[in-house]
Amino acid sequence: MKMMDLRVTVNGRPRAWSIAPGELLLDVLRREGFFGVKRGCEQGECGACTVLVNGRAVNSCLMFAAQVEGCDVLTIEGLADNGKLHPIQEAFLDHGAAQCGFCTPGMILSAKALLDRNPHPTEAEVREAMAGNLCRCTGYLKPVEAVLAAAARVAEEVGP
Amino acid sequence: MFEKVEAFHRPTSIREAIRLLEGGTGRAEVVAGGTDLVVAANSTTRILIDITRAGLSYIRKAGGTCTIGATTTMAELEASSVIRGLAGGILARAAATCGSVQIRNVATLGGNLANGSSAADVAPVLLALDATVVSADPNGRRQLPVAEYRKLVRSLLIEVLIPNPPGGKRCGWSFQKLGRTALDISLVNVAAGLKVDASQRVTWARIALGAVAPKAIRMATVEEHMKGRMLSAVSIAEAAEGVMRAVRPITDIRASADYRREMSGVLVRRALGECAAQAGVAL
Repeated sequence: MKMMDLRVTVNGRPRAWSIAPGELLLDVLRREGFFGVKRGCEQGECGACTVLVNGRAVNSCLMFAAQVEGCDVLTIEGLADNGKLHPIQEAFLDHGAAQCGFCTPGMILSAKALLDRNPHPTEAEVREAMAGNLCRCTGYLKPVEAVLAAAARVAEEVGP
Repeated sequence: MFEKVEAFHRPTSIREAIRLLEGGTGRAEVVAGGTDLVVAANSTTRILIDITRAGLSYIRKAGGTCTIGATTTMAELEASSVIRGLAGGILARAAATCGSVQIRNVATLGGNLANGSSAADVAPVLLALDATVVSADPNGRRQLPVAEYRKLVRSLLIEVLIPNPPGGKRCGWSFQKLGRTALDISLVNVAAGLKVDASQRVTWARIALGAVAPKAIRMATVEEHMKGRMLSAVSIAEAAEGVMRAVRPITDIRASADYRREMSGVLVRRALGECAAQAGVAL
Protein backbone atom coordinates (compact mmCIF):
# COMPACT_ATOMS: atom_id res chain seq x y z
CA MET A 1 0.00 0.00 0.00
CA LYS A 2 1.30 3.38 -1.02
CA MET A 3 1.07 5.72 1.96
CA MET A 4 0.55 9.47 1.77
CA ASP A 5 1.50 12.40 3.99
CA LEU A 6 -1.08 14.24 6.02
CA ARG A 7 -0.35 17.63 7.53
CA VAL A 8 -2.99 18.65 10.01
CA THR A 9 -3.24 20.65 13.21
CA VAL A 10 -4.76 18.60 16.03
CA ASN A 11 -5.57 20.31 19.33
CA GLY A 12 -3.40 23.28 18.39
CA ARG A 13 -0.28 21.29 17.48
CA PRO A 14 0.83 20.69 13.88
CA ARG A 15 1.26 17.01 13.00
CA ALA A 16 2.75 15.21 10.04
CA TRP A 17 1.37 11.72 9.76
CA SER A 18 1.64 8.96 7.22
CA ILE A 19 -1.77 7.58 6.25
CA ALA A 20 -3.23 5.09 3.81
CA PRO A 21 -5.22 6.92 1.08
CA GLY A 22 -8.53 5.28 2.05
CA GLU A 23 -8.19 5.65 5.83
CA LEU A 24 -10.98 7.30 7.77
CA LEU A 25 -10.28 10.18 10.14
CA LEU A 26 -11.66 8.16 13.08
CA ASP A 27 -9.14 5.36 12.51
CA VAL A 28 -6.17 7.71 12.14
CA LEU A 29 -7.03 9.75 15.24
CA ARG A 30 -7.40 6.62 17.39
CA ARG A 31 -4.18 5.13 16.01
CA GLU A 32 -2.40 8.34 16.99
CA GLY A 33 -3.70 7.99 20.54
CA PHE A 34 -6.77 10.24 20.58
CA PHE A 35 -8.99 7.67 22.28
CA GLY A 36 -11.52 10.31 23.30
CA VAL A 37 -12.73 9.97 19.70
CA LYS A 38 -15.06 6.99 20.19
CA ARG A 39 -15.79 4.26 17.70
CA GLY A 40 -19.56 3.84 17.84
CA CYS A 41 -21.88 2.97 14.96
CA GLU A 42 -19.44 3.86 12.15
CA GLN A 43 -22.49 4.94 10.12
CA GLY A 44 -22.81 8.60 11.08
CA GLU A 45 -25.79 7.91 13.32
CA CYS A 46 -24.51 8.02 16.91
CA GLY A 47 -22.11 10.98 17.01
CA ALA A 48 -19.67 9.29 19.44
CA CYS A 49 -16.82 9.96 16.97
CA THR A 50 -17.62 13.70 16.70
CA VAL A 51 -14.65 16.04 16.31
CA LEU A 52 -14.51 19.67 15.23
CA VAL A 53 -12.91 20.40 11.85
CA ASN A 54 -12.27 24.13 11.41
CA GLY A 55 -14.78 24.68 14.22
CA ARG A 56 -17.57 22.58 12.74
CA ALA A 57 -18.84 19.32 14.23
CA VAL A 58 -18.39 16.32 11.94
CA ASN A 59 -18.61 12.55 12.27
CA SER A 60 -14.99 11.38 11.94
CA CYS A 61 -16.27 7.91 10.94
CA LEU A 62 -17.63 9.36 7.67
CA MET A 63 -14.67 11.52 6.73
CA PHE A 64 -11.52 10.41 4.97
CA ALA A 65 -8.41 11.43 6.88
CA ALA A 66 -6.98 12.92 3.68
CA GLN A 67 -9.86 15.42 3.67
CA VAL A 68 -8.50 17.26 6.73
CA GLU A 69 -5.18 18.17 5.04
CA GLY A 70 -4.32 21.68 6.25
CA CYS A 71 -7.31 21.79 8.61
CA ASP A 72 -7.66 22.47 12.31
CA VAL A 73 -9.04 19.46 14.21
CA LEU A 74 -10.20 19.59 17.81
CA THR A 75 -10.77 16.41 19.84
CA ILE A 76 -11.95 16.23 23.45
CA GLU A 77 -8.29 15.87 24.54
CA GLY A 78 -7.65 19.43 23.34
CA LEU A 79 -10.52 21.12 25.14
CA ALA A 80 -9.14 21.59 28.66
CA ASP A 81 -6.61 24.41 28.96
CA ASN A 82 -3.49 23.22 30.88
CA GLY A 83 -5.58 20.97 33.10
CA LYS A 84 -8.32 23.56 33.58
CA LEU A 85 -11.56 22.08 32.33
CA HIS A 86 -13.61 23.96 29.75
CA PRO A 87 -16.84 25.44 31.19
CA ILE A 88 -18.89 22.88 29.23
CA GLN A 89 -16.88 20.06 30.82
CA GLU A 90 -17.38 21.64 34.27
CA ALA A 91 -21.10 21.93 33.66
CA PHE A 92 -21.33 18.26 32.60
CA LEU A 93 -19.70 17.34 35.94
CA ASP A 94 -21.90 19.70 37.98
CA HIS A 95 -25.10 18.40 36.38
CA GLY A 96 -24.25 14.68 36.42
CA ALA A 97 -24.57 14.77 32.64
CA ALA A 98 -22.20 11.84 32.07
CA GLN A 99 -22.80 8.26 33.11
CA CYS A 100 -20.78 5.66 31.20
CA GLY A 101 -19.09 8.53 29.35
CA PHE A 102 -18.99 6.98 25.89
CA CYS A 103 -21.12 9.65 24.21
CA THR A 104 -19.75 12.48 26.36
CA PRO A 105 -16.79 13.65 24.22
CA GLY A 106 -19.04 13.94 21.16
CA MET A 107 -21.77 15.70 23.12
CA ILE A 108 -19.36 18.21 24.59
CA LEU A 109 -17.77 18.96 21.20
CA SER A 110 -21.20 19.42 19.55
CA ALA A 111 -22.06 21.79 22.39
CA LYS A 112 -18.79 23.70 21.91
CA ALA A 113 -19.43 24.15 18.19
CA LEU A 114 -22.87 25.51 19.05
CA LEU A 115 -21.75 27.91 21.79
CA ASP A 116 -18.86 29.23 19.70
CA ARG A 117 -21.42 30.36 17.09
CA ASN A 118 -24.37 31.07 19.32
CA PRO A 119 -23.32 31.90 22.90
CA HIS A 120 -26.90 32.21 24.18
CA PRO A 121 -28.90 29.37 22.61
CA THR A 122 -32.47 28.47 23.48
CA GLU A 123 -33.22 24.98 24.79
CA ALA A 124 -34.62 24.08 21.35
CA GLU A 125 -31.37 25.21 19.71
CA VAL A 126 -29.33 23.09 22.14
CA ARG A 127 -31.48 20.03 21.45
CA GLU A 128 -31.20 20.59 17.70
CA ALA A 129 -27.41 21.00 17.88
CA MET A 130 -27.05 17.78 19.90
CA ALA A 131 -29.60 15.67 18.03
CA GLY A 132 -26.75 13.85 16.28
CA ASN A 133 -25.30 12.58 19.57
CA LEU A 134 -27.01 9.50 20.95
CA CYS A 135 -26.83 8.48 24.63
CA ARG A 136 -27.82 5.03 25.90
CA CYS A 137 -27.68 5.67 29.65
CA THR A 138 -27.97 9.16 31.15
CA GLY A 139 -30.46 10.39 28.59
CA TYR A 140 -30.66 13.88 27.28
CA LEU A 141 -32.16 16.04 30.02
CA LYS A 142 -28.98 16.53 32.03
CA PRO A 143 -26.69 17.16 29.06
CA VAL A 144 -29.12 19.78 27.75
CA GLU A 145 -29.28 21.41 31.21
CA ALA A 146 -25.50 21.33 31.41
CA VAL A 147 -25.06 23.06 28.04
CA LEU A 148 -27.58 25.76 28.94
CA ALA A 149 -25.81 26.33 32.26
CA ALA A 150 -22.43 26.43 30.51
CA ALA A 151 -23.65 28.97 27.97
CA ALA A 152 -23.60 31.83 30.46
CA ARG A 153 -20.21 30.76 31.85
CA VAL A 154 -18.63 30.32 28.39
CA ALA A 155 -19.63 33.86 27.48
CA GLU A 156 -18.08 35.18 30.71
CA GLU A 157 -14.89 33.12 30.99
CA VAL A 158 -13.83 32.46 27.43
CA GLY A 159 -14.99 35.70 25.94
CA PRO A 160 -15.96 36.23 22.30
CA MET B 1 -13.51 -0.68 4.36
CA PHE B 2 -11.38 1.31 1.93
CA GLU B 3 -8.18 -0.70 2.38
CA LYS B 4 -7.80 -1.19 -1.37
CA VAL B 5 -7.83 2.51 -2.19
CA GLU B 6 -4.55 3.35 -3.93
CA ALA B 7 -4.80 7.10 -4.31
CA PHE B 8 -6.65 10.03 -2.79
CA HIS B 9 -6.78 13.13 -4.98
CA ARG B 10 -7.76 16.66 -3.98
CA PRO B 11 -8.14 18.49 -7.30
CA THR B 12 -8.22 22.27 -7.05
CA SER B 13 -10.09 22.86 -10.32
CA ILE B 14 -13.00 21.34 -12.23
CA ARG B 15 -10.70 20.58 -15.16
CA GLU B 16 -8.32 18.60 -12.96
CA ALA B 17 -11.23 16.76 -11.30
CA ILE B 18 -12.64 15.72 -14.69
CA ARG B 19 -9.21 14.59 -15.91
CA LEU B 20 -8.78 12.43 -12.78
CA LEU B 21 -12.27 11.03 -13.16
CA GLU B 22 -11.60 10.18 -16.81
CA GLY B 23 -8.30 8.48 -15.88
CA GLY B 24 -9.96 6.40 -13.18
CA THR B 25 -13.06 5.23 -15.06
CA GLY B 26 -14.61 2.25 -13.33
CA ARG B 27 -12.28 2.47 -10.32
CA ALA B 28 -12.75 6.03 -9.10
CA GLU B 29 -15.39 7.53 -6.85
CA VAL B 30 -16.07 11.21 -6.34
CA VAL B 31 -16.00 12.27 -2.68
CA ALA B 32 -17.69 15.36 -1.30
CA GLY B 33 -19.36 15.03 2.11
CA GLY B 34 -18.85 11.27 2.13
CA THR B 35 -21.99 10.70 4.18
CA ASP B 36 -23.49 8.28 1.64
CA LEU B 37 -20.25 7.10 -0.02
CA VAL B 38 -18.53 5.96 3.19
CA VAL B 39 -21.61 4.14 4.47
CA ALA B 40 -21.99 2.35 1.12
CA ALA B 41 -18.30 1.23 1.39
CA ASN B 42 -17.85 -0.02 -2.15
CA SER B 43 -14.88 -2.41 -1.98
CA THR B 44 -14.06 -2.05 -5.69
CA THR B 45 -13.05 1.60 -5.28
CA ARG B 46 -9.34 2.19 -5.96
CA ILE B 47 -9.23 5.96 -6.44
CA LEU B 48 -10.96 8.67 -4.42
CA ILE B 49 -11.38 12.16 -5.87
CA ASP B 50 -12.29 14.76 -3.25
CA ILE B 51 -13.95 17.65 -5.10
CA THR B 52 -14.53 19.86 -2.05
CA ARG B 53 -11.46 21.97 -2.97
CA ALA B 54 -12.33 22.30 -6.67
CA GLY B 55 -14.08 25.65 -6.28
CA LEU B 56 -17.64 24.28 -6.34
CA SER B 57 -18.87 25.75 -3.05
CA TYR B 58 -20.85 28.88 -3.88
CA ILE B 59 -24.30 30.41 -3.93
CA ARG B 60 -24.72 33.18 -6.53
CA LYS B 61 -27.65 35.20 -7.69
CA ALA B 62 -27.58 37.05 -11.00
CA GLY B 63 -30.38 38.16 -13.31
CA GLY B 64 -32.95 36.34 -11.20
CA THR B 65 -31.22 32.98 -11.53
CA CYS B 66 -29.73 31.38 -8.45
CA THR B 67 -26.65 29.21 -9.08
CA ILE B 68 -25.51 26.77 -6.41
CA GLY B 69 -22.19 24.94 -6.63
CA ALA B 70 -22.32 21.16 -6.25
CA THR B 71 -20.25 21.00 -3.05
CA THR B 72 -22.28 23.63 -1.21
CA THR B 73 -23.19 21.98 2.09
CA MET B 74 -26.63 21.61 3.62
CA ALA B 75 -25.43 23.83 6.50
CA GLU B 76 -24.43 26.54 3.99
CA LEU B 77 -27.84 26.31 2.27
CA GLU B 78 -29.63 26.57 5.63
CA ALA B 79 -27.62 29.64 6.62
CA SER B 80 -27.65 31.48 3.25
CA SER B 81 -29.82 34.59 3.14
CA VAL B 82 -30.22 34.09 -0.63
CA ILE B 83 -31.55 30.55 -0.17
CA ARG B 84 -33.71 31.51 2.82
CA GLY B 85 -35.26 34.24 0.73
CA LEU B 86 -35.82 32.06 -2.33
CA ALA B 87 -39.33 30.61 -2.82
CA GLY B 88 -40.37 30.86 0.81
CA GLY B 89 -37.05 29.31 1.84
CA ILE B 90 -38.14 25.77 0.91
CA LEU B 91 -34.66 24.70 -0.15
CA ALA B 92 -33.21 25.96 3.14
CA ARG B 93 -35.94 24.06 4.99
CA ALA B 94 -35.24 20.85 3.09
CA ALA B 95 -31.48 21.21 3.72
CA ALA B 96 -32.17 21.67 7.45
CA THR B 97 -33.86 18.25 7.58
CA CYS B 98 -30.99 16.29 5.99
CA GLY B 99 -29.80 14.57 9.17
CA SER B 100 -27.87 15.85 12.17
CA VAL B 101 -25.68 18.95 12.38
CA GLN B 102 -22.64 16.71 11.86
CA ILE B 103 -24.15 15.36 8.64
CA ARG B 104 -25.35 18.75 7.36
CA ASN B 105 -21.91 20.29 7.95
CA VAL B 106 -20.45 18.03 5.25
CA ALA B 107 -23.32 16.65 3.12
CA THR B 108 -23.63 18.53 -0.17
CA LEU B 109 -26.38 19.56 -2.57
CA GLY B 110 -24.67 17.76 -5.45
CA GLY B 111 -24.11 14.64 -3.36
CA ASN B 112 -27.76 14.48 -2.36
CA LEU B 113 -28.70 14.48 -6.08
CA ALA B 114 -25.86 12.33 -7.41
CA ASN B 115 -26.42 9.64 -4.79
CA GLY B 116 -29.77 9.10 -6.48
CA SER B 117 -31.80 8.12 -3.41
CA SER B 118 -35.55 8.29 -4.05
CA ALA B 119 -35.86 9.99 -0.63
CA ALA B 120 -33.30 12.78 -1.29
CA ASP B 121 -34.79 15.79 0.47
CA VAL B 122 -33.57 18.40 -1.99
CA ALA B 123 -34.93 16.55 -5.05
CA PRO B 124 -38.67 17.42 -4.77
CA VAL B 125 -37.74 21.01 -3.95
CA LEU B 126 -35.57 21.33 -7.06
CA LEU B 127 -38.37 19.78 -9.15
CA ALA B 128 -40.88 22.30 -7.78
CA LEU B 129 -38.42 25.10 -8.58
CA ASP B 130 -37.89 23.98 -12.22
CA ALA B 131 -34.16 23.61 -11.50
CA THR B 132 -31.60 22.41 -14.01
CA VAL B 133 -28.40 20.50 -13.34
CA VAL B 134 -25.10 21.35 -15.02
CA SER B 135 -22.66 18.47 -15.37
CA ALA B 136 -19.32 18.28 -17.13
CA ASP B 137 -17.21 15.63 -18.81
CA PRO B 138 -14.15 15.79 -21.09
CA ASN B 139 -16.42 16.80 -23.99
CA GLY B 140 -17.81 19.84 -22.23
CA ARG B 141 -20.74 20.90 -20.14
CA ARG B 142 -24.35 20.02 -20.45
CA GLN B 143 -27.50 21.22 -18.80
CA LEU B 144 -30.48 18.99 -18.01
CA PRO B 145 -33.77 19.50 -16.19
CA VAL B 146 -33.38 18.04 -12.70
CA ALA B 147 -36.00 15.35 -13.53
CA GLU B 148 -33.71 14.01 -16.27
CA TYR B 149 -30.46 14.15 -14.31
CA ARG B 150 -28.70 10.84 -13.72
CA LYS B 151 -25.21 10.31 -12.38
CA LEU B 152 -22.95 9.13 -15.18
CA VAL B 153 -19.61 7.43 -14.63
CA ARG B 154 -17.41 9.95 -16.45
CA SER B 155 -19.36 13.05 -15.62
CA LEU B 156 -19.15 15.47 -12.72
CA LEU B 157 -22.10 17.40 -11.32
CA ILE B 158 -20.98 21.04 -11.32
CA GLU B 159 -23.89 23.19 -10.23
CA VAL B 160 -27.64 23.59 -9.97
CA LEU B 161 -29.49 26.52 -11.57
CA ILE B 162 -32.76 27.78 -10.14
CA PRO B 163 -34.69 30.23 -12.33
CA ASN B 164 -36.44 33.18 -10.70
CA PRO B 165 -39.51 31.60 -9.06
CA PRO B 166 -42.97 33.21 -8.98
CA GLY B 167 -43.34 35.60 -6.07
CA GLY B 168 -45.55 38.28 -4.63
CA LYS B 169 -48.19 38.23 -1.96
CA ARG B 170 -50.52 35.86 -3.83
CA CYS B 171 -47.85 33.16 -3.91
CA GLY B 172 -47.08 30.46 -1.33
CA TRP B 173 -44.53 27.69 -0.81
CA SER B 174 -44.12 24.67 1.42
CA PHE B 175 -41.77 21.81 2.20
CA GLN B 176 -43.08 18.90 4.25
CA LYS B 177 -41.21 15.86 5.46
CA LEU B 178 -42.31 12.79 7.37
CA GLY B 179 -39.77 10.64 9.19
CA ARG B 180 -39.86 8.60 12.39
CA THR B 181 -37.48 11.05 14.02
CA ALA B 182 -36.34 14.57 13.17
CA LEU B 183 -33.12 13.16 11.67
CA ASP B 184 -34.65 10.24 9.81
CA ILE B 185 -34.53 9.52 6.10
CA SER B 186 -37.85 10.70 4.65
CA LEU B 187 -40.75 8.24 4.47
CA VAL B 188 -42.43 10.83 2.26
CA ASN B 189 -41.40 14.40 1.41
CA VAL B 190 -43.30 17.08 -0.47
CA ALA B 191 -42.43 20.42 -2.03
CA ALA B 192 -45.21 22.66 -3.31
CA GLY B 193 -45.79 26.12 -4.68
CA LEU B 194 -49.01 27.93 -5.63
CA LYS B 195 -49.95 31.26 -7.15
CA VAL B 196 -53.49 32.60 -7.26
CA ASP B 197 -55.12 35.58 -8.95
CA ALA B 198 -57.22 38.31 -7.28
CA SER B 199 -60.28 36.03 -7.30
CA GLN B 200 -58.28 33.22 -5.65
CA ARG B 201 -58.10 31.07 -8.76
CA VAL B 202 -54.93 29.02 -9.10
CA THR B 203 -52.78 30.40 -11.93
CA TRP B 204 -49.66 28.34 -11.28
CA ALA B 205 -48.96 25.19 -9.26
CA ARG B 206 -46.06 22.91 -8.45
CA ILE B 207 -46.33 19.69 -6.44
CA ALA B 208 -43.42 17.25 -6.18
CA LEU B 209 -42.91 14.26 -3.92
CA GLY B 210 -39.98 12.12 -2.85
CA ALA B 211 -39.70 8.56 -1.48
CA VAL B 212 -42.91 7.42 -3.19
CA ALA B 213 -41.47 6.30 -6.56
CA PRO B 214 -38.05 5.20 -7.87
CA LYS B 215 -37.08 8.87 -7.90
CA ALA B 216 -38.65 12.15 -6.86
CA ILE B 217 -41.65 12.96 -9.09
CA ARG B 218 -43.65 15.99 -10.12
CA MET B 219 -47.42 15.67 -10.10
CA ALA B 220 -48.03 17.43 -13.42
CA THR B 221 -51.56 16.08 -13.89
CA VAL B 222 -52.63 17.21 -10.43
CA GLU B 223 -51.04 20.63 -11.01
CA GLU B 224 -53.00 20.98 -14.30
CA HIS B 225 -56.21 19.98 -12.55
CA MET B 226 -55.74 22.73 -9.94
CA LYS B 227 -55.08 25.45 -12.51
CA GLY B 228 -58.04 27.73 -13.19
CA ARG B 229 -59.97 26.40 -10.18
CA MET B 230 -60.72 28.25 -6.96
CA LEU B 231 -58.23 27.40 -4.23
CA SER B 232 -60.29 25.89 -1.41
CA ALA B 233 -60.37 23.04 1.07
CA VAL B 234 -62.25 21.07 -1.57
CA SER B 235 -59.71 21.65 -4.34
CA ILE B 236 -56.87 20.80 -1.96
CA ALA B 237 -58.60 17.56 -0.93
CA GLU B 238 -59.03 16.69 -4.62
CA ALA B 239 -55.36 17.36 -5.25
CA ALA B 240 -54.38 15.15 -2.31
CA GLU B 241 -56.55 12.34 -3.68
CA GLY B 242 -55.03 12.77 -7.11
CA VAL B 243 -51.55 12.51 -5.61
CA MET B 244 -52.49 9.36 -3.68
CA ARG B 245 -53.62 7.77 -6.95
CA ALA B 246 -50.47 8.82 -8.81
CA VAL B 247 -47.74 7.78 -6.36
CA ARG B 248 -46.05 4.39 -6.70
CA PRO B 249 -44.51 3.76 -3.27
CA ILE B 250 -42.81 0.57 -2.16
CA THR B 251 -42.83 -1.35 1.10
CA ASP B 252 -39.46 -1.46 2.84
CA ILE B 253 -37.94 -1.54 6.33
CA ARG B 254 -39.10 2.04 7.00
CA ALA B 255 -42.75 1.95 5.97
CA SER B 256 -45.36 0.04 3.97
CA ALA B 257 -46.54 1.17 0.56
CA ASP B 258 -50.06 1.74 1.93
CA TYR B 259 -48.77 3.96 4.73
CA ARG B 260 -46.62 5.98 2.33
CA ARG B 261 -49.61 6.44 0.00
CA GLU B 262 -51.83 7.59 2.87
CA MET B 263 -49.15 9.97 4.14
CA SER B 264 -48.60 11.36 0.64
CA GLY B 265 -52.17 12.65 0.84
CA VAL B 266 -51.71 14.03 4.35
CA LEU B 267 -48.47 15.84 3.47
CA VAL B 268 -49.86 17.28 0.23
CA ARG B 269 -52.88 18.64 2.16
CA ARG B 270 -50.54 20.24 4.70
CA ALA B 271 -48.26 21.61 1.99
CA LEU B 272 -51.06 23.14 -0.07
CA GLY B 273 -52.69 24.46 3.13
CA GLU B 274 -49.45 26.26 3.99
CA CYS B 275 -49.17 27.61 0.43
CA ALA B 276 -52.77 28.88 0.63
CA ALA B 277 -52.13 30.63 3.96
CA GLN B 278 -49.03 32.35 2.54
CA ALA B 279 -50.98 33.37 -0.57
CA GLY B 280 -53.61 34.99 1.67
CA VAL B 281 -56.37 32.47 0.89
CA ALA B 282 -58.57 31.53 3.86
CA LEU B 283 -59.72 27.93 3.50
